[in-house]
Amino acid sequence: MTLTPQRSKAPGPSAPEPGRPSVPVSGAAAGPKGAGVEPWAMGLAVAVAVAGAALGLNGVLRGWAWYPAALTTVFAVALAMAGLRALRLRGVLVGAGGFVALALVLTFTFFRQHSIAGFIPSGDTMAQLLRYLRRASETVLAESSPVAPNAGIVLLVCGVLGLVVILVDALAVPLALPATSGLGILAILVVPAMVKPQSVGWLGFTGAAAGYLMILASSHWFHPNSRTRADTARNPGQLKRASLTGAMALVLTLLFQLAIPGFDQGIFPQGSRLNPWGSASGLNPMISLGNSLRSPTGDGRITYATNASQAPYLRSVTVDSFDGDAWAPDDRDASRQPGTGRMDPGPSPSVEEQVRVVTAVNTGQFTSPYLPAPYAPESVNGLTGRWSWDPATLSIKGVDTNSRDQQYVVASVAPKLTRAVLAESPDRTQAVPDTFTRVPASVPQIVRQTADTVTAGSRSNYAKAMAIQQYLRSAQFSYSLQSPVQGGYDGNGLSVLADFLAQKSGYCIHFSSAMAVMARLEGIPSRVAVGYAPGRATGSTVTIPGLGALPEYEVDARDAHAWPELYFQGVGWVAFEPTPSRGVVPGYATEPAARSGASTNENNDGLIPEDDLKPTAAPAPAPLPLPAAAGGDGSGSSLVPLLYGGGLLLVLLLLAAPALARGGLRRRRLKASGLSGAAAPAWAELRDLATDFGIPPHSSETPRHFSARLRGSAALGEPGGVDAPAHAAVASLSGDFERQRYGRPGTDSPAGNSLPDSLRGSPADRVELVRDAFRAHASWWTRWRATWLPPSLTARWRRRAWTPLRAVSVPAREAGRGAAESWSRVRDAVRRLRRS
Amino acid sequence: MDYHRRTSVDEALPEPQGLPARAGATEAGVTGAGVTEAAAAGPGTRKQPGAALPAPMEAAAFHSASERILRAINTVIDGKAEAAKLALTVLLAQGHLLLEDVPGVGKTLLAKTLARTIDCSVSRIQFTPDLLPSDVTGVSIYNQASRMFEFRPGAVFANIVIGDEINRASAKTQSALLECMEEHQVTVDGKSYKLDEPFMVVATQNPIEMEGTYPLPEAQRDRFMARISMGYPDRDSEMEMLETHQATSPLTRVTAVVTADEVASMIATVQQVYVSRPIKEYTVALGRATRESAMLRLGASPRSMLQLLRAAKATAALEGRDFVLPDDVVSVAESVLAHRIILDRKAASTGETPQSVIRSILARVPVGQETAPAQARAGSDGGRSAARPSTLPTGR
Repeated sequence: MTLTPQRSKAPGPSAPEPGRPSVPVSGAAAGPKGAGVEPWAMGLAVAVAVAGAALGLNGVLRGWAWYPAALTTVFAVALAMAGLRALRLRGVLVGAGGFVALALVLTFTFFRQHSIAGFIPSGDTMAQLLRYLRRASETVLAESSPVAPNAGIVLLVCGVLGLVVILVDALAVPLALPATSGLGILAILVVPAMVKPQSVGWLGFTGAAAGYLMILASSHWFHPNSRTRADTARNPGQLKRASLTGAMALVLTLLFQLAIPGFDQGIFPQGSRLNPWGSASGLNPMISLGNSLRSPTGDGRITYATNASQAPYLRSVTVDSFDGDAWAPDDRDASRQPGTGRMDPGPSPSVEEQVRVVTAVNTGQFTSPYLPAPYAPESVNGLTGRWSWDPATLSIKGVDTNSRDQQYVVASVAPKLTRAVLAESPDRTQAVPDTFTRVPASVPQIVRQTADTVTAGSRSNYAKAMAIQQYLRSAQFSYSLQSPVQGGYDGNGLSVLADFLAQKSGYCIHFSSAMAVMARLEGIPSRVAVGYAPGRATGSTVTIPGLGALPEYEVDARDAHAWPELYFQGVGWVAFEPTPSRGVVPGYATEPAARSGASTNENNDGLIPEDDLKPTAAPAPAPLPLPAAAGGDGSGSSLVPLLYGGGLLLVLLLLAAPALARGGLRRRRLKASGLSGAAAPAWAELRDLATDFGIPPHSSETPRHFSARLRGSAALGEPGGVDAPAHAAVASLSGDFERQRYGRPGTDSPAGNSLPDSLRGSPADRVELVRDAFRAHASWWTRWRATWLPPSLTARWRRRAWTPLRAVSVPAREAGRGAAESWSRVRDAVRRLRRS
Repeated sequence: MDYHRRTSVDEALPEPQGLPARAGATEAGVTGAGVTEAAAAGPGTRKQPGAALPAPMEAAAFHSASERILRAINTVIDGKAEAAKLALTVLLAQGHLLLEDVPGVGKTLLAKTLARTIDCSVSRIQFTPDLLPSDVTGVSIYNQASRMFEFRPGAVFANIVIGDEINRASAKTQSALLECMEEHQVTVDGKSYKLDEPFMVVATQNPIEMEGTYPLPEAQRDRFMARISMGYPDRDSEMEMLETHQATSPLTRVTAVVTADEVASMIATVQQVYVSRPIKEYTVALGRATRESAMLRLGASPRSMLQLLRAAKATAALEGRDFVLPDDVVSVAESVLAHRIILDRKAASTGETPQSVIRSILARVPVGQETAPAQARAGSDGGRSAARPSTLPTGR
């Protein structure tokens, strides 16, 4: 940024070349005179900057396998452009060469088999490219970070990095805006800053910063105006200016991040989880789950009222298939059936006693294709739009609508579950679709071993499930939203699962998927349900016809949850709660040995928690904040009043800034004129005073004329009578100023010897006299504006604000002229051609 | 610069040329087209160039002298105080005056009145189409008695030369005035003759659209410091004019109110008026603005800048100040600059006049009061640079 003003200081006759690409001189002028090491240094700097910024993408893409490809691309493109520039080709050709180099290197890296001679793109390459791009788009849409580096997404990343190289190079060299070239680097950094919970990370930040500094250092060779080079070398105030700019930027950064909520940690816009698409939207709720849990504010609030004795889990979708790198809900569009008025929960369970629950849900701003509903919905009424349901999973999905602003009543029915019922369930399951039983192809060894170890002593399915849940809820495991991120296994997938079991720290996705996968390994059909943990009572009630007033609960993004559902023959799908500290453990899923009053659970409803007995399942009104943030929150809450107080002070200060600045200016001027008797400060003050009160001096106006106009206007009152001293003061001030500015130096008599006695005071007194007269004759609005928003000051600020624009407009105009010139030249050439 | 040139000439000709008295010159008015006899004055009234420069006047004396002149003019010409003041300004600034207007508004009367109020030699040249350059400058004729060529001075050998209807003479004759007006000397047959000081040409002309006129060449126009349009008098003044001018011309009642020496002292006073650096900057900015203006084909020359500044100095002195204000520059800028610039054809077709262009430039060029911080520095600079021209005359 510090380079830009210097540029503007020397607009110079030599026009910057961007506007006239077709003028033959410009290409030679832009290139360095002795094209030696300079183009290579600049190329290297650009490559280092882009490659350094790309370091931050680790975490968006898993691992480092993708980095060599990106590195090759970046360096190939940057050095190709540097080579072309070293040949002193024109700027346009260098840019075109960059594109060609990018195409070649991408072909060589990704489509070696499908191209001519291994690096020249062919028709086959295009087909492959489309396939890769489709894969990349699927990855972007369906997977959560860090994504596995498949060829499609790596191709995309390499291509974008190559384009950024060309952009940065174009900004830095032919356009001669090296400081602005940081925009390209910033474009790379924004991706990890937005996607990764721990932001860019020091590696990416350091790499980008180092490369950027290198670009700035190399840029002076390419300055279009050679005079500036000499200037910058000699300029003595540069260090001072640079340190001042740096200090100001640092202070502002530190202050602003205090004022903006969310920027509470990290080195780059961390915590600012910009999510313009609403909460939990997209095709994959699994992706947004971690981010929802980490979101500092609970948005996507859902309220619901139920006649169940405890708040139920709200389930929106299930994840059935554990194959592949990332798990996503199967949309099951093929088997879905339209209409939600009556839903068939499948083969009726053998359990006699059923629990029927009616729940009225208001989704508010929550946006998702899936509808949250308590399990197992029997009918959903009151929906707008067309909805469909899946017989196998009972997930409800909008055909042409989503869950935003829906109010509906769900009638759900579930068998009344007890340990006894589950224990009696036969171990051999029948009539369960293959999707729920298929063991993933490549289960990591650690998962298999853990499952075997944990369930070693159990025989029945129920016992095995209980063993797995008990293992996951044991003290070995800790609930943490941050450690998967730090450990690099945030997200989901089998490899993530392995990492989780090794680290023994994670959040609901990890716990639930671990239990689901281990259950399948042990032969129990399983799936992972995604939805919301039981919420908090809002204290108000909702009246539903026929049921009376029901207590209302609320959940928001922080309550997002995933839990495993296991299938028991004759009972159906049964939910478990392996995640410590989240949700509530159903009564049937509690260890009889661990509890004293097991018999009291016999009468519990299915899925209804036993909160008074399980400390871990205690209804935490708010979900536990992440451990790392807990300390911050505590100190943050005590800082909040301070912060707001400071903010208020800042706002007041900002509002009073014009008045303060004006007052300071006045005091300085009057003090200066009082000390030295100089008339100029007093005169400047008089001019500004008149501007404030609506009589601005024109630049082409002489002091005498201005003074006469001032005295002739109504703002100063009538010349005779009360305001006579003010008139005399204006006259004497202008006289003094004239004498000092235009008179013979040394002979002036500053105090104004021909003044009446009342005006023999200092210039300051006379200015005050004029000011009083102004105030006495001005309207209240003018008076207010003169004090709080002085036009003299705002005009000066406006002028200063326009200065950079003016500096830009000159090259822009020249560029436009150059473009017009070249266009006319082209047109003439075309005409000549046509004539001949 | 202009001053330097004249100084060098003076040094080259240290002795007075010992020309015949002005009386001879007036009689030699070859055309006989009316060389008016001014207040008869002896040869001693002519200022000797080699003599010591007249001392500058006291402020009070200067004021009273200028008041006397203006009052005398105003008794003759009613309602034209501005024109009278400008004429006096040009006189004190050592310039030449061009009075341009339609016939019958008192151009010649103003010129004659100005000449009469000063006790100095006056000659009048009626420019007719058959006037020759030698009629103006003088001619060498063969003296039978002495058997030598001797120079008979022309009509320009006077303190104030009234060139009536100057644009009725051919361009050839008009050009005869070029050297006298700029360098205050006449060169005939390779010999230069110094003119009297103070020397002023007051020329009248009809607008060039009138029949039988030759337009003044640009070079000639540029030598006139100011051009004044008299304009018609207002109603009351015209009534009064009809009243007073019925029987006799009031011109006959005018007597000289100042001597030529007093005028020389007044001129010296004007020369000592201080010009600060901001004023010079402003003047230069005005000149550059005329040259850069899209509406003008020809901007103001550097000489016109010099004359503008001199006129401003005279204005300041007449106001009783010993330093120039931007207001002084502004007040004379239109008269000094308007006749020198040439409008672009496009601007002329849109109804612009030189006066309106000058006015718009004055309204645009910043006076530069804002540079208050630089004021002290600029002031001291200006003092140093301005001290040179003002001390120069005394150093001569």
